[in-house]
This record gives sequence, structure tokens and C-alpha cells, in this order.
Amino acid sequence: MIEVKHLSFVYSPKTPFTTQALFDINLKIETGDFFGIIGSTGAGKSTLVSHFNALTKIQKNSGTVIVEDMDLSAKKVDLNKLRAKVGMVFQYPEHQLFADTVLADVMFGPKNIGLSGAEAEERAKRAIELVGLNYGEIAERSPFELSGGQKRRVALAGVIAMQPEILVLDEPTAGLDPRGKRDIMELVLRIKESCPTVIMISHNMDEIAEYCNKIAVLKHGRVMGVFSPRELFGSEELLNSCGVELPLVTEIAVKLNELGVNVDRSVLTEDELFEQLKKAVKDA
Amino acid sequence: MPFLEFKDVEYSYVSGEDELTKALNKVSFAVERGEFIALVGCNGSGKSTLARLANGLITPDSGQVLVDGMPTTDKSALFDIRKKIGIVFQNPDNQMVTTIVEDDVAFGPENLGLPQDEIRARVDWALKSVGMQDYATSGPFRLSGGQKQRVAIAGVLAIKPELMILDEATGMLDPMGRREVLDVVKKLNRDENMAVIMITHFMEEAAAADRIIVLNGGAKQADGGKELFDTPEVFESAGLDLPLYVRLSRRLKGIGADIGCPLSSDEFARAVANLKGEGEE
Repeated sequence: MIEVKHLSFVYSPKTPFTTQALFDINLKIETGDFFGIIGSTGAGKSTLVSHFNALTKIQKNSGTVIVEDMDLSAKKVDLNKLRAKVGMVFQYPEHQLFADTVLADVMFGPKNIGLSGAEAEERAKRAIELVGLNYGEIAERSPFELSGGQKRRVALAGVIAMQPEILVLDEPTAGLDPRGKRDIMELVLRIKESCPTVIMISHNMDEIAEYCNKIAVLKHGRVMGVFSPRELFGSEELLNSCGVELPLVTEIAVKLNELGVNVDRSVLTEDELFEQLKKAVKDA
Repeated sequence: MPFLEFKDVEYSYVSGEDELTKALNKVSFAVERGEFIALVGCNGSGKSTLARLANGLITPDSGQVLVDGMPTTDKSALFDIRKKIGIVFQNPDNQMVTTIVEDDVAFGPENLGLPQDEIRARVDWALKSVGMQDYATSGPFRLSGGQKQRVAIAGVLAIKPELMILDEATGMLDPMGRREVLDVVKKLNRDENMAVIMITHFMEEAAAADRIIVLNGGAKQADGGKELFDTPEVFESAGLDLPLYVRLSRRLKGIGADIGCPLSSDEFARAVANLKGEGEE
């Protein structure tokens, strides 16, 4: 569980460039959540999640973040323990691959927290297989020879090999083609079986609507609210006040209603919309 | 004579030790002035290679790329070719060279050796065209992604190219930024008759183009107008999805409700409403 309490954050404090990125954020992310964080560029999404594994240090008198039993505003935080618990996958994680071989890259994290070579290798092997790559074929290859989608999987494997309990994903499907996007989301669901809590930043409302059970909307550094997908995408008022784009399925449902075709506008997936359309067409 | 012509173009790059990967395989097509083309294909299909070949950043292993009749292998023509074809890349942060927006936009025209007042006029025009005139003296690093990408487009625009290639230029933007960029590009195509090749993964963006070229494994798989959406196999076998409204209309047809092939959510909603209207009469 992650609890964010009255968290604020200021970039470049006491300089002419000072910018407040977060204002008094309060959030509770529970074990088992697939927690979406949305908001336009500059809303503070990445700044917020970078607190979850203490990459960004909590400033003085600026609230706190509690991860399970660890208070991240404390003077001494056991960073090894925290970062083994919270796995962070940044935007374009493939840019962070660095080792000569896939295996060495994926083993790097586990070795860093003091596991023996054999243990680290065993974990790396499981992680590489979990992300759907063939260990025997790929372990000794250079990560730089792989395709974009494969590289992203290797980067994910590096985080999975740490066996986190909480996985934070910042735009996991950005830049991938439609099939690549779907593959990565299916992979995330598979990872979620052993890593119960997933937090995902995304601009892709279709994905947010389909996968998340809770969604926090950020705007100009403030939390506008935490909603279920149906609450959020089903309410025109909420969407407008939060400045949220509609998923394409909802957009179509809204337009149909405007033209006098009655379909439930809180649909979240293509299949749900199709069921509604079937009914509407049959009634005619 | 077409403005841009690819004739049996082949290109391979070195991947790993002594391994060659064929990025493009005998690709031919022609682009006329003023066309709006979407170039689609999955990751690794050769889209970006094609963009780089178009303005001579790389040259074909075999075959020919002709811009206004000039082959890109002719080094003396490269300066002219790059005036005629501008590319906007995916990451706006990699395309900014100065610390002030208008300086950045002026960089291209300055390199063309234009007189000062002409440069000024072009910079003002380019920034206005993308709706960024109020940010002329800002630092590019304080802009949003969509704004930065519009500045990058202005920088290419200031050279007054006859063809602009956007290589997944909206890929890193949020939905709002994506719409901003798409609107600007459509306007330039309409008002300035500038040809556009939009490389994209967003099939909804592709549906907005007049013509669609599908690349699959380095080969041209299809090339045509919106009627391509009537044969979804073309996209599916290239690893692409159909736009949501096309998928839904096909499923509706499957249960006996034919609404044709709408290519936007508006068209889709209208088609369904019409169908209902007819049924009730």
C-alpha cells in the first residue's frame, strides 16, 4: 500500500525559476489496485510517482509518502529495501539498457542488492521468460541488436527481476505500434499476478479505461479526484472539470446519444459498446 | 513529373556482426505536390528509413530516389533537395538548437543565406502558422510537448519546403498535443498546398489522410485511398489495427446492420443514427 499525505513539491526553490509542481497531494493506493494516473503534460504525474521510490526526496515540511511500513520523509530511509519493493519503469525504458548482454543487464539490479551470481542469474532467467522472451536465444545477445519491442521487454525484465510488490509504469506503451501496445498491456497483466499493485501513468485513455480500477486525475499539480473508470468516463461534468479526454469508445457513445441513439455512455471497452450497439440496432 | 519518386529502392543496414538487415525491399511510389499521405506500418517495417531516404540523409543501395527530378545521390543537388523536403522527428527535445524560440525557427532560413528582412518575415509567418507567435521570445525548454513540436514544425516550415514528412511526430505527445499538431499540419496542407507524409501508428490519424501507404517488413503492401479500409486484411497482415469505428462497423455488418465504412467517430455515429431512422420509418 502507498499512502500520500499532504505532499507538495517545488522545483528550483529560492531561485527565479521556482515552480511548484505538486500541491498538497493526498492519495491511497491499496494492494491489488491497478491504479491509473492521468493528466496533461506538466500536471505533475511523473514528479509524483518519482517520490514512490525516493528518487525525488521529500522536501522539508512538505508532507510524506508511506510505502507499506516505510515513512519516506524519515531522516533515514532504507533505499535498498524500498527500491526492491517498488519497481519503476520510466518512459522509453529501452534507453536505459547499458550492458553487453541481455542477461548482464537484467542481472544488474539483483546483484546490486547483494544476491549471489547464481541467484541473480536464476531471477534474471525467470524475469526474461516472464516477459515472453526466449532465454536461450536472447540471454547472450547485445540488447542493442534487438527490436524496439524486445528492448522494452528486456528493460521490463530488469525491473521484474527485483521481484517488486509495487510496479510503477510511466507511459509503458508510448511509441509502440498497436500490436506492441496490446502485447505490453497483456504482459503487465501477467506481471500483476505476482506483483499485486500496479500504478500506471498514461495518456492513452483507451488503456486507462480498459485496465485500471481506480484513476487519479491530476491537473496543475493538484489531485482533482480519484474515480472508478465508469464514474469518470460516464460523467460529462467530471470530464470537463478535470480536463480529461474521452476514450474513443466513450466518445462514440456520447456522439450516438447526441444524435438520439440511446446507448449507455459509461461503456469502457469495444465489446461493451458493441453490445450496446447491437441492442440499439435491434430496437430499430 | 511527380514531386517525389521512389524507384525500386532497396536499403540495408548493418545489425550485429556482419549481419545485414534489409530495411526496404524494392519500394516504388510517387508523391504529387499537395498530397496528404499517411505512411503506416508496425515497428521495424521501414517507415523511418523511407523518410531518411526521401531527403538524402541516406541513399539507396539500389534503385533511385528523385526529388523534383534530382537524384538524392547527386551531392550537388542535396542542398536544394533539403530545401524542398523537411522532416519533423519524434522527440521535440532533440530538435531544438537554440535557447529562444524565434532563433530556433530562424536557424533554417539563416542557413539558406536569406536577407535579414526575409528571415524575419518567414519566422513570423511560420510561428503564426503554428499558432506560436506569442512564444517567439520564450525558451523552448519551458514549453509543453505539443508546443515544442509546433515550434519544430515552424522551424521546418520557415524553409518553405514543398513536402513535410512527420516521422511519428505526435508519438510522444498527449492527446491534446496530438490534436494541435494534426490540426496545424492539415491547415498547412490545405492553405499552402504543402504535401505531407505523416508516419504514424495511430490508425485514426491515418484515416484522416487522402492516401495511405502500408509498409510491411520493408515492402510496400498497399497504396490507395480510403477504400483500403474495405479490405482490412491489408492492415491486419501488416500487424496493424483498424480504427475503432471501422472495427465496429464490420462487427455490425456481421449481425446484418450495414452502415458502410465510416472513417471518423462523427461519421460512425451519423451512420448508426441513419440506420435507426430508416428502421423506425
